[in-house]
Amino acid sequence: MEMEKVIVDSETMKRALTRITYEVIERHKNLDNLVLVGIKTRGIPLAKRIAERFRLLEGIIIPVGELDITLYRDDIRQTDEPVAKKNELPFDVAGKQVLLVDDVLYTGRTIRAAMDAVMDLGRPLSIGLAVLVDRGHRELPIRADFVGKNIPTSKDESIKVEMEEIDGIDRILLKKAI
Amino acid sequence: MEKILLLEDGTMFHGEGFGYEGECVGEVVFTTGMSGYQEAITDQSFNGQILTFTYPLIGNCGINRDDSESIHPTCRGIIVKEAARRPSNWRCAMDLDTFLKNKKIPGIQGIDTRKLTKMLRDKGTIKGCIVDAGIDLDQALLDLQNRKLPTNQVSQVSTPTAYPNPGTKRRVVVVDFGLKHSILRELAKRGCDVVVLPYDSSAQDVLSQLPDGVMLTNGPGDPKDVPEAVAMIKEILGKVPIFGICLGHQLFALACNADTYKLKFGHRGFNHPVREVATGRIDFTSQNHGYAVDPESLTGTNLMVTHLEINDNTIEGIRHRDVPAFSVQFHPDATPGPHDAVHLFDDFMESMDTWKEGKHA
Repeated sequence: MEMEKVIVDSETMKRALTRITYEVIERHKNLDNLVLVGIKTRGIPLAKRIAERFRLLEGIIIPVGELDITLYRDDIRQTDEPVAKKNELPFDVAGKQVLLVDDVLYTGRTIRAAMDAVMDLGRPLSIGLAVLVDRGHRELPIRADFVGKNIPTSKDESIKVEMEEIDGIDRILLKKAI
Repeated sequence: MEKILLLEDGTMFHGEGFGYEGECVGEVVFTTGMSGYQEAITDQSFNGQILTFTYPLIGNCGINRDDSESIHPTCRGIIVKEAARRPSNWRCAMDLDTFLKNKKIPGIQGIDTRKLTKMLRDKGTIKGCIVDAGIDLDQALLDLQNRKLPTNQVSQVSTPTAYPNPGTKRRVVVVDFGLKHSILRELAKRGCDVVVLPYDSSAQDVLSQLPDGVMLTNGPGDPKDVPEAVAMIKEILGKVPIFGICLGHQLFALACNADTYKLKFGHRGFNHPVREVATGRIDFTSQNHGYAVDPESLTGTNLMVTHLEINDNTIEGIRHRDVPAFSVQFHPDATPGPHDAVHLFDDFMESMDTWKEGKHA
């Protein structure tokens, strides 16, 4: 049996993304070098939505790339390290301010793999991290620069982000086995 | 008692007096709200104005204990088509007539408010007065035309001294330009530890309260009549998160070197659709403003437009690009009106939290 509870609704989720966009603008004096890199699966539509907000607000097109990190699932404890598949990005990362985008920040291992993948492709000016949810329990010295929601969890709980593009609905669920 | 509403262009409307027995002079404006007259009458943004209600029947649920937006309302007068004779509502504590008498606000009823509103939309808001029918009207018109309306409206409605509204969470300094109580209510709901300061407080006064955030409130009149506030905002910008509403929004814009202008007949009502630029989402908002931020003046500033009115494309929200400071022209505190945009108070809370975290990081 599993108990699940909606802890963030569609409106609140959209607001969190808008706030992240505003904060990114605040902390980047210059947006010319900014590129977004969504981490599969739900990091990709999240990155696209942030890029869309940039377009509407500032009339600029921020390039969006996608990274595939395999051997990783947020709801199953893995003994193997997540590693990046062979990735290609539609732009040269050299000299860019790369903003990684993911749905949930947990142990930090996915992000580490993502950073490795980006750095294999070139030398970016900087790498930042935006996540919709920070649920705690880091196992690596990694923190997010932009957080939609801090949701403290216990280790036997899990966070499921659902998005319209993939799941047909925008919401965040807290799940727990009972 | 027969009364006359006289406008500075010589137009006359005959009606019947109610409320306070007296005469009044002010800028004649109209509000399109179908309810919420108690909130409107007590809203200090109507300071110095004679308020026309376009909705034809006003006063039908009386005046209650809970819905006032100020203790001493300062709108000059009330113009209605028909004032309800007998109010009926479970919360009703007194009728509108008694309330206006208590608050010394004259009213006039039996006015063709549709015709009046069309005139105001056509010609823009103008000076007017409510006078007794028996007086020398030529003289009254001359007096009205020569009358200069006061420009110190904010100082009339701001608190003369600082006072706290204690809470246990984030410390918010509210700079009072004529605040609606609902702003304090929204902050209280979120547990904020509020200190309300007078409109002419210095940046030092504000910062010495060690605020987590500063709220710039609504208020009456022209933002350019309050240069001391603009100077204060310039100085605190970037030192603490700022959230401005209505007049506070205009003052924030001026402090960021943008400009404001007077609207022809203003936005007063609470059926004003506003688009959030970032998402395209439409909120219905409560508005009460006679001035607006000039879009062209934003060029070269560090401001971006976050909200636009659908009807006439006026700027309804802006945000600073480099520091946590944002403002809206409409009233997210609603009352009266829809609560669509009340989440902006939550955004302000989050903005304060992010700022705090950044400071300690």
